Amino acid sequence: MATPQITLTSSDGVDVTVERTVAERSVLIKNMLEDLGDSGEAIPIPNVNEAVLRKVIEWCEHHKNDPPTAGDEDDNRRKTSDIEEWDQKFMQVDQEMLFEIILAANYLDIKALLDVGCKTVANMIKGKSPEEIRKTFNIQNDFTPEEEDQIRRENEWAEE
Amino acid sequence: MDADPVPGSPTRPELRLQATTFPGYSAPSLSPSFKLDEGYSDDTRSQSDKELMPENVMMLPEWVLSQSETDRAELAYSLLRSLSTSTLAAVVDRLNPLLHMDPVVKLPPELTFEIFSYLDPRTLLTASLASCSWRARILDSGLWRVLYINEGWRVDMRAIRNFEQEHAEAMSPITRRARPQHSEPDLGEPKLKKRVPPTWLASRSNEGEGPSDAKGHGSIEPDDEGDHHMADANDRRSSLAAAPSSLPRLPSFLQPPLRSSLLIRSPNGTVKVNWAHLYKQRRRLEANWHQGRFTNFQLPHPSHPEEAHLECVYAIQFEGKWLVSGSRDRTVRVWDLETKRLWHRPLVGHVKSVLCLQFDPSPEQDIIISGSSDRSVILWKFSTGKKIHQITNAHADSVLNLKFDHRYLVTCSKDRTVKIWSRRELSAMDEDYPRICKGGGATYPSYIVDLNDMAPNILEASIANGHLKSLKPYTHLMTVEGHGAAVNAMQLHGNEVVTASGDRMIKVWNIRNGACLKTLMGHEKGIACVQFDSRRIISGSNDNTVRIYDHVSGAEVACLRGHNNLVRTVQAGFGDPPGADEALRLEAQEVENEFWKAQQAGVPVDLGPRALRRAGHYSNTAGSRDPRNISALGAKIPPGGGGSSWARIVSGSYDESILIWHKDRDGAWSIGHRLRQADAAANAARATLSEAARAAVSAQAQQLQAAQTLLALPTGNGAIAAPAQSAEATPDQEASDDTQSPNNTNPTPTPTAPQEPTAAQAGLTTTPNPAPAAHAAPQLHQHLAGANPHQARRQMAQPPSSRVFKVQFDSRKIVCASVDPRIIGWDFACGDEEILEACPFFQGLS
Repeated sequence: MATPQITLTSSDGVDVTVERTVAERSVLIKNMLEDLGDSGEAIPIPNVNEAVLRKVIEWCEHHKNDPPTAGDEDDNRRKTSDIEEWDQKFMQVDQEMLFEIILAANYLDIKALLDVGCKTVANMIKGKSPEEIRKTFNIQNDFTPEEEDQIRRENEWAEE
Repeated sequence: MDADPVPGSPTRPELRLQATTFPGYSAPSLSPSFKLDEGYSDDTRSQSDKELMPENVMMLPEWVLSQSETDRAELAYSLLRSLSTSTLAAVVDRLNPLLHMDPVVKLPPELTFEIFSYLDPRTLLTASLASCSWRARILDSGLWRVLYINEGWRVDMRAIRNFEQEHAEAMSPITRRARPQHSEPDLGEPKLKKRVPPTWLASRSNEGEGPSDAKGHGSIEPDDEGDHHMADANDRRSSLAAAPSSLPRLPSFLQPPLRSSLLIRSPNGTVKVNWAHLYKQRRRLEANWHQGRFTNFQLPHPSHPEEAHLECVYAIQFEGKWLVSGSRDRTVRVWDLETKRLWHRPLVGHVKSVLCLQFDPSPEQDIIISGSSDRSVILWKFSTGKKIHQITNAHADSVLNLKFDHRYLVTCSKDRTVKIWSRRELSAMDEDYPRICKGGGATYPSYIVDLNDMAPNILEASIANGHLKSLKPYTHLMTVEGHGAAVNAMQLHGNEVVTASGDRMIKVWNIRNGACLKTLMGHEKGIACVQFDSRRIISGSNDNTVRIYDHVSGAEVACLRGHNNLVRTVQAGFGDPPGADEALRLEAQEVENEFWKAQQAGVPVDLGPRALRRAGHYSNTAGSRDPRNISALGAKIPPGGGGSSWARIVSGSYDESILIWHKDRDGAWSIGHRLRQADAAANAARATLSEAARAAVSAQAQQLQAAQTLLALPTGNGAIAAPAQSAEATPDQEASDDTQSPNNTNPTPTPTAPQEPTAAQAGLTTTPNPAPAAHAAPQLHQHLAGANPHQARRQMAQPPSSRVFKVQFDSRKIVCASVDPRIIGWDFACGDEEILEACPFFQGLS
């Protein structure tokens, strides 16, 4: 049985066709389809370019059969930064793409993907020294050595 | 870092390069000078632009720029292939930074908030050293609010709101101080679930360099667009941007400031509590508990020994600034913990020792209820100390414990029964009206009608025609029987009553019908105290142990050995963070899975402790998760009872010590500190006095001593002998008689209470003022000499002198009632100004 398809138009004007159930992993698209009905017209996604959109759809395809997320209660649960294997591989992209995926997941309201993206960045911070973090993200150290030293001492309370 | 699967870490260049050839994605970051139609991502690349547009990058000829991205990539690749390896490496080095970008620049605060919320405080503080903008984002008050709550710590939200309001009023336009130059990065509102509104994304492309600056500052309030947003960006530009980072900046330019403060003032004048600061101070306070750093105090204040109880103190409870105590001297006293002074005159009404009490100082309740070995229960108005009501002969023997909520008062007694009383007028139509449960252990007074036997219309008719009158407040609703010895302690939680008895059993009852829901066993001697928090039941016993039971399954999940005498009092705070039920269940399951796995692997896990010991394994019963230590399966909570890593149990014993238990790394309980009542008493008497005060008190003591010798003449032994007598008599006569009755293998409580010597001392309680001075004087003298206040008594009478009867702790202190007429406390704020400032907002572990 052919599943209904819908078309999304990326910010750079490319039409991408996708199964409706896959696209509905995005709460934004789901609500839009519910509110406006499927007119058969392409849905513009003005904040996501084609490359990112395809990547997001790839994720949605893989996760289309996932049980729906618990929603807001999720935030109360203790957060683990574990990421399942497929998602880890999926997130092995360059940093620009990684951040674009996070922004797109946020815009499209795909909570599970946003979580995976945020966990990926969190894991890039874990266990690193400030200098390593700076290198990881190409951050310019704008502290004076004195400031850095002072902050370090000020943060000692967390060590005990 | 080895496990870091993500490209972009500097150690994995091959992954990054690989990524640029990702199918369908042509690495636009490599072509920033040629801005094709790449959507919104270009303008956020200010950071990369800096790197890519230095003067030493030559302009590319037009024909190159006019190629498609794919073609340019091919061209670049071919060009690079023509280079020697070392030159290529140098180019790669130069390109490397382009592949790394700052999430704090790239992502709005709500999204870095999400990222940071996966990190622990230590990691976050380390990361805050990355740059000013990282620090500003990380010291976000809302982020630390989440961290605080997830530790399982609690706060008094009402106190916080009141405090914020007070300070907002103090910040009226006239009194407002010169505002700090920078707005604080976060205004304190938790940003749980806050997502970037689409408008933010849409607006990104037309804000020029604004966003990166403002974002770097971390002060965007994403839901407030327009003015506020821009104002923040300007703020930053006019200050920090004016002082480029290459110039040395003064430390005072750090934003947020180097040292956090309790309040955050936003530019619009609102004042919020800074959760980063609260987190820090709570953490420092917890460190004091862990390291055993405290100061001691006593009630009464050492300068007012005349306010002390005359004899040992059996019951205490504190809440906020109030502490209420009940003593063998038959009085109830209300104390102000701030001044350490007696609040009003001692409450006189009981004719024998006050054994138990509970109070509620809230204006709606305004009540103290006390129970006594005179078998009665008295209700007092908390604010005035006036006696409101007395239930005489509430029980056939001493009232050993009582608890109340807004519906019921529950009492338990040496007469082996538990009684439930109404607290409000109660009609048979009321949902709190007792249901009769036949065949259970409960009996009901004749005026309680069986609602099962009565059709609703008949019930309504009987009420209407006056046959069935409403029950007055404090009417006896039912008596619950089932224990074979004195019921020493109880706890009321929702619709369940948990009782602990000298018969070594703990029982759980339904408060509506008196049905016994379950019986827990395990203690080898009588049980003296019990606590219940809806998930676990914690008890202390004459077998010297503290045990923790899973409420659902009744399984014993820990047995703590550390005291060497009866455990008379216990309080536990597990500090369950939000969502704990699920987490606890999973933890318990995991432990069980490990057990089965170990069993399958042939590890002798189910030998039982004795056989294990023979096999060379000494069983850890304090909550270890080693499969060999698991004594019960099917529990809904893991061994030890679960809870946060800050979980704490405080137990007090007849061994004259108080133990603070905490969890070690694998979740088993271990003794953190052993506090000795006598040491603390000596400290309290000395430490709280300044030099001058000590001199004054010393003089006063001499006077009192002189007065006492005068007094001693006419009264003979009376005044002075009394405390000594109480020291030896009390544990046997009152408290331990009840709890130690299970000592006998065949527990048969003495039906008649031993005659107390208090009757002979009636004069003392009715005239509380002159008498305490008389006996307090020699004590005080002892403190100042630096000696144990009880030594004198010990010589006169027998030890023990500081058996602990009751402890209570909150986030900051432990207070202890003992044979000593003074109430002793350990304050873990330890005089630290910053901790003290934050303490009013902290609540203990739930």
